[in-house]
Amino acid sequence: MPDALYLSTAIGLPYLGALVTALLPANARRLESWLAGAVALLTLTMVWLCYYPTIAEGGVVRAEIAWVPQLGLNLVLRLDGLASVFAVMVAGIGLLVVLYARYYMSSDDPIPRFFAFLLAFMGSMMGLVLSGNLIQLVFFWELTSLFSFLLIGYWQHSAQARDGARMALTVTASGGLALLAGVLLLGHIVGSYDLDRVLASGDVIRAHPLYLPALVLVLLGALTKSAQFPFHFWLPHAMAAPTPVSAYLHSATLVKAGIFLMARLWPVMAGTDAWFWILGSAGMITLLLGAYVAIFQHDMKGLLAYSTISHLGLITVLLSLNSPLAMVAAIFHTMNHATFKASLFMAAGIIDHETGTRDIRRLSGLNATMPFTARLAMVAAAAMAGVPLLNGFISKEMFITETLSASTAPTLLHSLLPLGAALASIFAVAYSLRFIHGAFFGPTTGDMPHTPHEPPQWMRLPVEVLVFGCMVVGILPAATIGPFLDVAVRSVLGEATPYYSLAVWHGFNLPLVMSLIALAGGALLYRLLQRHLNAGIDGTPLLRRLDGRRLFDRVMVFLSWRFARTLERLLGTSRLQTQLRLMVCVTILAAVLALAPHDFGLGVLQLSPADPVIGLVWLAGSLCALAAAYQAKYHRLAALVLLGGAGLAVCITFVWFSAPDLAVTQLLVEVVTTVLLLLGLRWMPKRLELAGSGRLLSRLRRYRDFAIALGAGLGLTAISYATMTRVSPEGISRFFLERAYTEGGGTNVVNVILVDFRGFDTFGEITVLCIVALTVFALLRRFRPAPESIGVPDQQQGDVRNWMMVPAVTMKLLFPLIGVVAVYLLLRGHDLPGGGFAGGLMLAIAILLQYMAGGTRWVEDHLRVHPLRWMSAGLLLAGGTGLAAMAFGQPFLTSYFAYADLGWLGKLPVASALIFDIGVFALVFGATVLMLIAIAHQSVRSQRAAPTPPPAPQEER
Amino acid sequence: MLLAQAVLWPVAIPLATAALAACCWQRLAAQRAISAAGVLLMFAATLLLLWQVRAEGVQAVQFGGWAAPFGVSFVADRFSAAMAAITGLMAFATWLFGQADIRRREERAGFHPLFHGMLAGVNGAFLTGDIFNLYVWFEVMLITAMGLLVIGRTRAQLDGVLKYAVLNLFSTLIFLMAVALLYGVAGTLNMADLAVVLPQAGPSLTLTISALLLLCGFGIKAGYFPLFFWLPASYHTASITVAAIFAGLLTKVGVYACFRVFTLIFTVEGSGLREILAVMAACTMLFGVFGAAVQWDVRRILSFHIVSQIGYMLLGLAVATPAALAGGIFYIIHHIVVKANLFLLAGAIHRASGTFDLRQSGGLMRRSPLLAALFLVPALSLGGIPPLSGFWAKFMVIDASFRGGQGWLAAVALVTGILTLYSMTKIWMEAFWKDPLMPRPTARAVPAPMLAAIALLAAVTVAIGLQAEPFVAYAQSAAQALVDPSDYIAAVLGAVPAEGGAMAEPRP
Repeated sequence: MPDALYLSTAIGLPYLGALVTALLPANARRLESWLAGAVALLTLTMVWLCYYPTIAEGGVVRAEIAWVPQLGLNLVLRLDGLASVFAVMVAGIGLLVVLYARYYMSSDDPIPRFFAFLLAFMGSMMGLVLSGNLIQLVFFWELTSLFSFLLIGYWQHSAQARDGARMALTVTASGGLALLAGVLLLGHIVGSYDLDRVLASGDVIRAHPLYLPALVLVLLGALTKSAQFPFHFWLPHAMAAPTPVSAYLHSATLVKAGIFLMARLWPVMAGTDAWFWILGSAGMITLLLGAYVAIFQHDMKGLLAYSTISHLGLITVLLSLNSPLAMVAAIFHTMNHATFKASLFMAAGIIDHETGTRDIRRLSGLNATMPFTARLAMVAAAAMAGVPLLNGFISKEMFITETLSASTAPTLLHSLLPLGAALASIFAVAYSLRFIHGAFFGPTTGDMPHTPHEPPQWMRLPVEVLVFGCMVVGILPAATIGPFLDVAVRSVLGEATPYYSLAVWHGFNLPLVMSLIALAGGALLYRLLQRHLNAGIDGTPLLRRLDGRRLFDRVMVFLSWRFARTLERLLGTSRLQTQLRLMVCVTILAAVLALAPHDFGLGVLQLSPADPVIGLVWLAGSLCALAAAYQAKYHRLAALVLLGGAGLAVCITFVWFSAPDLAVTQLLVEVVTTVLLLLGLRWMPKRLELAGSGRLLSRLRRYRDFAIALGAGLGLTAISYATMTRVSPEGISRFFLERAYTEGGGTNVVNVILVDFRGFDTFGEITVLCIVALTVFALLRRFRPAPESIGVPDQQQGDVRNWMMVPAVTMKLLFPLIGVVAVYLLLRGHDLPGGGFAGGLMLAIAILLQYMAGGTRWVEDHLRVHPLRWMSAGLLLAGGTGLAAMAFGQPFLTSYFAYADLGWLGKLPVASALIFDIGVFALVFGATVLMLIAIAHQSVRSQRAAPTPPPAPQEER
Repeated sequence: MLLAQAVLWPVAIPLATAALAACCWQRLAAQRAISAAGVLLMFAATLLLLWQVRAEGVQAVQFGGWAAPFGVSFVADRFSAAMAAITGLMAFATWLFGQADIRRREERAGFHPLFHGMLAGVNGAFLTGDIFNLYVWFEVMLITAMGLLVIGRTRAQLDGVLKYAVLNLFSTLIFLMAVALLYGVAGTLNMADLAVVLPQAGPSLTLTISALLLLCGFGIKAGYFPLFFWLPASYHTASITVAAIFAGLLTKVGVYACFRVFTLIFTVEGSGLREILAVMAACTMLFGVFGAAVQWDVRRILSFHIVSQIGYMLLGLAVATPAALAGGIFYIIHHIVVKANLFLLAGAIHRASGTFDLRQSGGLMRRSPLLAALFLVPALSLGGIPPLSGFWAKFMVIDASFRGGQGWLAAVALVTGILTLYSMTKIWMEAFWKDPLMPRPTARAVPAPMLAAIALLAAVTVAIGLQAEPFVAYAQSAAQALVDPSDYIAAVLGAVPAEGGAMAEPRP
């Protein structure tokens, strides 16, 4: 159990530390670095505590915490040899970097943020290497991408840092998504994401048909993270980060995550040709390309970046070889690279910090001014170059040995391996020499921004520790690093662990000769290139055109800008008509699609004989509708009147087919909407007549639209016809007919449905009406009509009352009568055609007529309708009726009915639904009048408003 | 009584709030108080409903005491209860944000009644068990949304609202036609009853057309390709509070309706719908994300991302295995929170930098690091970065499409994920990292209510991400109920209305 505790602390503590650090004040620099250092140290201790008892004996520490069991996921913390080596690197180098950063970071930078990101990144790396579950691994993988993004872009004011960060994130997070897909496939193959189970089913995985896609996806993740060709380009651009970040991310952690993943899955995924070919070619190209480009870098960090790429390529090649010994070399080189590269980055940072520049062309002679740093850097660079008695030499010799033994295989790539290794070693010596010679030797009078001097002692300490490590391992490998390496290797290879010897001297053999040749060749190459390098030309000879970054930018610009813009131009439109046309067409298409599986068959029902009278009504109605559509664009008034004609035809049809309720409602709605629209027409702008240049085109457009409309109409007719000629199902309608009187207490079924059976629908609909009215009211509240429509029409010049004398008197006289009819309609609604809706509209018409007859002012002087109150009261009444039923323990809107005895008037059926209907009545009345008033007040306002000069016409986009 | 009708309250409370607020049209203080009470009560009511559904299973209520299928039913199963609860949360968060964002002018134009009316419409659509009643709630939503969109009465808003109104009216029209056809075939409107009746009726042309019309109608609402144009044309014109709640909820109502109708009434399996849905899902994802790429206005970027993300949900429906539906449901919940929060953040960015245009804003990382941290949460969640909710949502959807044999959909989803992340880094780099072109002389602080609302939603995102287990379990059981709706049907058709009063026997 303590193991589980230690492990979860090792992951959780850095995150906790990050959180605390982020909240510390910006000026508490010392405190923050102490805190971060303590966290790193504690994390290291936790790993160590776990390591010591179990791992050293070859065991695995494992703790399982339930996470999302539904998806087959448990949080598995798993520490074995490989993980422990990586964990120690992450925490150990993390500790050194924190110490280094304490002195490196300037007080102008927001320090809390820096340490918070760094610690969070450390936690993510710990989580990654300690994952015992593949999904969990991806989880932390993406987190490392995220925090590296934040760290690389830490100096946000620099565009380089921003772009570098974004590129790193895009590349590595995309790789992470590919990895996720790959891991999902692996989980699909194995049946579990648990690492132990995955590791136990190597044969199943390699034999599975999905092996290749899974492999490609997983390797996409690993290669992007480890900056392997062709995804290597993000790493040099990530150098815009502060140097401690580079030292941490690009030596021991971020880029090693890909290596870790490949080593982790090596036992189950390696051993196939596909593995060798993908990794071998990617690694070999990266190895050579990185080393070659590194020689020509002028920025010290750029040089180190490409050298990192190259070394990662080396490790990838080793992993690709499918040989256990190569695996040993890979892990060993990973550790060695972490030590010497971290120290070199730090040395570069010290130089940058103390001189103000990292440009090798400007630096020179630092050996004199900062001798101690120079010694340290030289040792580390020598390790990088593979000089004997340093750790880099041993692992590089192992690499050469492995390439030699692999070259016996028949393929071209196999046989080229030793050549590539030798060439890369020569390049490595050359760029290491450049790093040292360029910066530390030469005349002391460099034009550096600051006068160089030795850094604070504590800033140098991390470098000293790492360089000491390089030397000790290089001289006494078996005694120092041996046991650790052994544990790591055994955890990967298990029984298959081969015999290997860690020694400086293996006798005078071919690898040693090749190493020596490389040293000599590298020195020679550097000597030859010196003239070119001193000339200070930017870019790499022969490879100037090959710029991964440019390619990346082009792809991203293409995808996110050009391609997207083209798509937008082709398909996106801001024009309403186009959009609507598209939608109608899609709908028609959908209906046509439906025809495919079915044949269009008419139903069995016979048509009843057509009556010529209703036929004529329909002919008139259809003509009206067609004409309205035709005129809609040119003559609004005519279109509106024609629309009224079509509405009347519908109304007559309702009467004809014995639906008096519908007819009444339709008629009233028709009247009110037409009047309101007519009132609104007054304020519409005039139609713009465009010159007839595009006449033919516009006519064609209209024909096309007509065809679409015809298609839609005919289609709908056909569907309706097909449906209605079939026997209608025994649905719910009979129930309504039967129960309307017995249980709903009304003989008017339509009304009972509206206020009782489906009262809730009505409730919703009156809400809609209410909101429409409110919106119209709110929208027109302070509306000022367009200047061109302000002018008073002829009819209103002079006294309106005289002009409309007779109609006005009639309308005024009719007012009480209409009111009575409205109430009558309301009250009888439950049994006879009518109802709250019709009644409300009727009453509204009464008011409407008064407005028309007397003018807005006259009406409002004589009669104040408070439509808002009517509406609210109606809504509350209707809702209250429903709630009242609940007070009696019934469901919402349950109605109750009885007969009220009114003496000589007879018995009046009273249903609680009537109260609901009264609510509807009030609301409909209020809403209609509110809209009327909103529109009517324009005329008052426009008369009041001084005809102000029209505002400058704004061009539409 | 309170508990027996728990399904009703999430609709009744906002309706009552809207009505009361409309009563106090002139008294803004009263309106605000009513609105606050309404929001809190509704949030509580939705949580109560969620709790009750979890404890007791599907809840059904028959209005007017008429047994299904004659009266109108309200039903809450796990899916709809979750949607209602998230609506409550959204209402609360946007209301909180609105404390600092809504102007008096907008309040005078009826913000409070419209806002609550819209909430009632959304909840009604989630909870109704009757397809015609669903239409009614769609109308409520449409009309209130129109009112809210145009509340500032600017020229841009009028332009946006016109498109919104016309295209959405068209959608409801198609919906209504589809319902009419459905009624013509089945003779019933209750969805549970339809689920029983339609299999007996057998396949027919009318039914297929009805299904496709429903898909079109809901598709316009939800913003599926190629029906999404109204969305990016209108959302960015609304005020931020309004845009946030629209972005969070309105399109999701369309998605919800699709999920409901195409599991309960129609099936994706074996109806030929799968291919259509899959292609639509893929195109929706891609077109949305490409549309976002060319924008510079934060709100427009986010609007296009709504479309793109809708594609993921549709993907869940297209694959239609229980796991895929669970992924879709999880995605909906995750996305509502995240997208609304991003819109709120757009508002905060505007408040702090004075512009929505990314080219002109900048420097917010330095000026308000808290806002930056809060932005990262939903932005990364949208991109599917762990440990946030989006990671799980993507994980579930992609895993399900692999398992459902639709690997290509998974690939499209992954590519879309990358582009989404890229797009989010664009906002991050332009608004937060880069220095502004013209630094503002005085830095404007983001008001506390805004930050509180954003932080609340960010906390939810993080909570879902870190503690995904209950949410995943819930989504899975909700999806299971969609695949096998027998509980739903039993709860509706077997719902016994209260004794006494006007009641009907179940149909023989």
